Amino acid sequence: MKKSKYSLLLTLVLVLSVFLAACSGGNNTDKKSDGAKTSNAAQEIKILSKSEIPTLDSVKTTDEIGFNVLNSINEGLYTQDKDGSSVPALVDGEPEVSEDGKTVTFKLIDAKWSNGDPVTAQDFVFAWQRAIDPATASEYGPYMMNGKIAGAQEITDAAVAKKDFDLNTLGIKAIDEKTLEVKFEKVLPYWKDLMAFPTFYPQNEKFVKEKGNAYASNAENLISNGAFKLAAWKGPTAMEWTLEKNDTYRDADAITLKKITFNVVKDNNAQVNAFEGGEADITDILSSDLVPQYQGDERMVSALQPSVYWIKMNYKNKALANVNIREALAKAFNKEDLAASILNNGSIAANYFVPDKFVTTPDGKDFREKNGDLIVFNADEAKAAWEKGLAELGLDKLELSYLGGDTDSAKKQDEYIVNQLETNLPGLKVNLESVPFAIRLDRAKAGNYDLLHSGWGPDYPDAMTFADLWLTDSPNNEMSYSSAKYDGLIKKAEEAAANPEEYVATLQEAERVFLAEDYGVAPTYQRADNILISPKVKGLVALPFGPNYSYKWITVEE
Amino acid sequence: MARYIIKRFIYMLITLFVIASLTFFLMKLIPGTPFSTAGKLSPEQLQIMKENYGLDQPVAVQYAQYIVGLLKGDLGISFQFNNVPVTQLLLERIQPSLVLGFQAIFFGTIIGIVLGVISALKQNTWIDYSSTFIAVLGKSIPNFVFAGVMQYYIGVKLGWLPVLFWKGWDYTIMPTIALAMFPIAITARFMRTEMIDVLGSDYITLAKAKGASSFEVAFKHGLRNALIPVITVLGPLTVSLMTGSLVIEQIFAIPGIGEQFVKAITVNDYSVIMGTTLLFSFMFVVIILIVDILYGVIDPRIRLSGGKK
Amino acid sequence: MAKEDMKISKDKFAPAILDASLGEAIGKPSLNFWQDSWLRIRKNKAALVSIIVMLLVIILAFVGPLISGHGTNEQDLKRTNLPAKIPVLESVSWLPFDGTMVRNDGTVVDVYEQKNIDEYFWFGTDSLGRDLFTRVAKGIQISLYIAFLAALLDMLIGVTYGAIAGYFGGRLDSMMQRVIEVISGIPNLVVVILMILVFKPGIMSITIALAITGWTTMARVVRAQVLKLKEQEYVLASRTLGNSHSKIIFKHLLPNLAGVIIINTMFTIPNAIFFEAFLSFIGLGLSSPLASLGTLIDDGFKTLRLYPHLMIFPAVFISIIMVCFNMIADGIRDALDPKMRD
Repeated sequence: MKKSKYSLLLTLVLVLSVFLAACSGGNNTDKKSDGAKTSNAAQEIKILSKSEIPTLDSVKTTDEIGFNVLNSINEGLYTQDKDGSSVPALVDGEPEVSEDGKTVTFKLIDAKWSNGDPVTAQDFVFAWQRAIDPATASEYGPYMMNGKIAGAQEITDAAVAKKDFDLNTLGIKAIDEKTLEVKFEKVLPYWKDLMAFPTFYPQNEKFVKEKGNAYASNAENLISNGAFKLAAWKGPTAMEWTLEKNDTYRDADAITLKKITFNVVKDNNAQVNAFEGGEADITDILSSDLVPQYQGDERMVSALQPSVYWIKMNYKNKALANVNIREALAKAFNKEDLAASILNNGSIAANYFVPDKFVTTPDGKDFREKNGDLIVFNADEAKAAWEKGLAELGLDKLELSYLGGDTDSAKKQDEYIVNQLETNLPGLKVNLESVPFAIRLDRAKAGNYDLLHSGWGPDYPDAMTFADLWLTDSPNNEMSYSSAKYDGLIKKAEEAAANPEEYVATLQEAERVFLAEDYGVAPTYQRADNILISPKVKGLVALPFGPNYSYKWITVEE
Repeated sequence: MARYIIKRFIYMLITLFVIASLTFFLMKLIPGTPFSTAGKLSPEQLQIMKENYGLDQPVAVQYAQYIVGLLKGDLGISFQFNNVPVTQLLLERIQPSLVLGFQAIFFGTIIGIVLGVISALKQNTWIDYSSTFIAVLGKSIPNFVFAGVMQYYIGVKLGWLPVLFWKGWDYTIMPTIALAMFPIAITARFMRTEMIDVLGSDYITLAKAKGASSFEVAFKHGLRNALIPVITVLGPLTVSLMTGSLVIEQIFAIPGIGEQFVKAITVNDYSVIMGTTLLFSFMFVVIILIVDILYGVIDPRIRLSGGKK
Repeated sequence: MAKEDMKISKDKFAPAILDASLGEAIGKPSLNFWQDSWLRIRKNKAALVSIIVMLLVIILAFVGPLISGHGTNEQDLKRTNLPAKIPVLESVSWLPFDGTMVRNDGTVVDVYEQKNIDEYFWFGTDSLGRDLFTRVAKGIQISLYIAFLAALLDMLIGVTYGAIAGYFGGRLDSMMQRVIEVISGIPNLVVVILMILVFKPGIMSITIALAITGWTTMARVVRAQVLKLKEQEYVLASRTLGNSHSKIIFKHLLPNLAGVIIINTMFTIPNAIFFEAFLSFIGLGLSSPLASLGTLIDDGFKTLRLYPHLMIFPAVFISIIMVCFNMIADGIRDALDPKMRD
């Protein structure tokens, strides 16, 4: 009995040690490469990401890290330059624009895929048709194309109605191997920027068809035409991947960086610890809780983003359909304090919905200059409007539900805003609700809320990406806002697209009507992102739309 | 015994089927779709997506399809990870969680037993109190605090151990310690109370009278009898540790399954939720069977099979 | 040591009265089970001290918000993230109650002076300028509620379920075990999410979620112990004497189960407290501004290096509560143990 007990224990220990050895072996080589960091000039960096890459199929990608990687390994007709402007990439010189401004003919340069194939006009046609094809089930394809690329909306409509459709009706045609013709639905002042967006990247038809369902499922099943190529990526669930310089890239000489290693670290504190412990050169965006810790530290880089947050007020609620109530709510919380004390990460109070430092008007000024601050915190005005509104409704108190935001510091912001609203508007009771991410979006889509803290980040640098949110039939309106005057103004702007001055002036007027007359939403803040970057890494560029960072110009110094 | 195990095995299949069915229907009660996180889908587009994935069908039809797939060994595909098969996802992600869970249980139990036995032998002395204190503190301080503080001081400041990632045995030490706090605490506490019980028994008095030292008595005679509640609790705990911990995996950037599971639930990734639930339940049911069998081994007086009286 | 001292005079001895009837008399007062237990718990100093500390904590939780002079959600951005400052104790240099904090570069600043604040915030304030003392006191209330609720459910559902399953065994036991497996198999989070859809997020949904899932471990532990105990001689004896099942369970088995029940409860409690904190962590917990100790620790941890007081105070209290609970539990366990009667 005694003997068997001990032998059992012994076996257990043996099994355990074999088990552990098996599990921990194999990876030992990874650790040795750490020693390489002593040679400072090595053009290699390590970057942290908060999430895995759900997909690298450019027509399906929707997330920031996916866009960042795609932007590094692929290129479209245009690309974002260091200042965020769109400059020619695969397009040769200025394209030919038709008289009505709706048809553009591009000449392509001689670029190569990393498997040696040339990048052809047909690659664009193939990719775009895949993006709009309902069978691909792409989110961004229809979102970016409908109403912009000729024929896109019709394809989606036909698919919904279960009717036949022809992908060749999409407004893109390969005239010959190096000539591409694109038809827009209307005049798009921002078409160059659109062409820089990953959804509009080309895909090598032969390669994609050959790989079938396996396309873009890991590094082996993906080819690139960008500055880097994917050297290692085990697929969507991988928590580590590496990019290496692509020697067949059209501008390979301009790229100094040899290798980028990405690691997924989801916890904010752990990201900082990894950075401090020398496991990373660049972190992902820091949560605002961690920012004060690095205030004044040269390693922290802050960039104001064109993302604006606001409180949506649901018009289905009778009280919120009253303009005075909306005015009261929009003016009743101190957003300067919100930005400075609660967020405390470089974010600024928003008194507008088209962000600051986002677009410039034709006369070279910022879009914001004309309208300035449209809804400013003012407790007295808020209270006056509140009492007027309540009197009109015949109420003396009001209870509203408030669906909180989904950003990392949202809880704190929402607690502050709710407290401010209740303090400054007597008789108001706000119930703060926190629900899981998916349910929150579902309720937003269904319009099942009173107040909703949410935001919008642009996909191309034009005020229209914000302005068309509030159209009566916009799927992102989500609050049943409907104003004939506003719809008319946006229509007028679209028609005036060929005339930049009028276009911008009309959009500015629309913004003023929406905020200063209708109090359509209660803007809260414009976000700033902060990252930690090692002093030896130079040349990281923050981009205003699509991908948030470009690694192309990075060099590692002593 | 063989008959008993076969019977339990059949029960096991039924239990798993019930769990799968209940989870399926409960999940479908939660509003939203796996695409609800895609904020930029228009309603028409959402409709097309649902059709593509068969989510527009009645729940009963979806259920039938799921069960048929399950019988063929097909767990479906993940929505959040662009169509990665759930089987592949589980296989990739379970390994680190298994290693960590196993190590935490193994070392946690040993340390816990030692602490508990010492406590019992030195009942109501400062040794007992400090052992209790250590055990309780291990449980009172949430493990993310413990892990975070350890990561900063031992990893970053002192540089004794790797800060994070999953690249070798030394990378498992800190997460194992953080996870082992609970098994240490629970084993130590149960061990103390059972040991005190056992040490008061007549046969222990007899062994002592025969001149056995108290440690000899404790380990030779006491341990076995004190094990019943310990294995009862440790069984399921093993499963929950082996199926991963969201917090520890996030802090140490470990490619485990726990963190996946929580994310899947919050974004309605149905097939991943179902797959992980089935895996978890399977391990749970098997462990419970093992524990039930062990009762009889540890204490031959216990009869489970029933009816045989 | 003088020898004379050893001399004992004879008259100090008297013959005993031999009376057979007195031999049967009980010398000690007759105590029932509970009186006897109380006697013994009083002798256990650690348990006694713990009971007193626990009472103080409970008093603090309920009286604290009244005497602090601040509401739980009284925000003021002019006084955010103040460190702790307590009158009298502020002059004790080694205690962290002097209202100063150490900057990143090592300099010590008096934040109160800097922000021009005369008031004393005993535990400091949080990032919204709320008094942490008040919030901790409220947090103790909520965490204690969850703790007692979890313990109660464990006792009522878990113990009864486990005792019945273990005692009767056979087919009934088998069925009951399958039910536990099913309940444990369905992911907790799915249940919680459904609860917050039905009952709205808040303490109610958490309560019900705990009621559905929290008691299974206890049921299994009790069942295992009963399986072991029911084969013991005294149970057989009791059964032979014709006692009813309920009498055997309550009179003979339960007292012997006290140890494991109490210990297991001591684990259900922190599990429940941190389950609630975990729910807050993934955004499903209590609606703000309500905060439990778990959520306070969770929030405080995010800024631990900058404002350590935000995590340390709630963490100290949760630790005090847990250590006290366990010391009391040990005391009760020893006191209830029928084998340890003296």
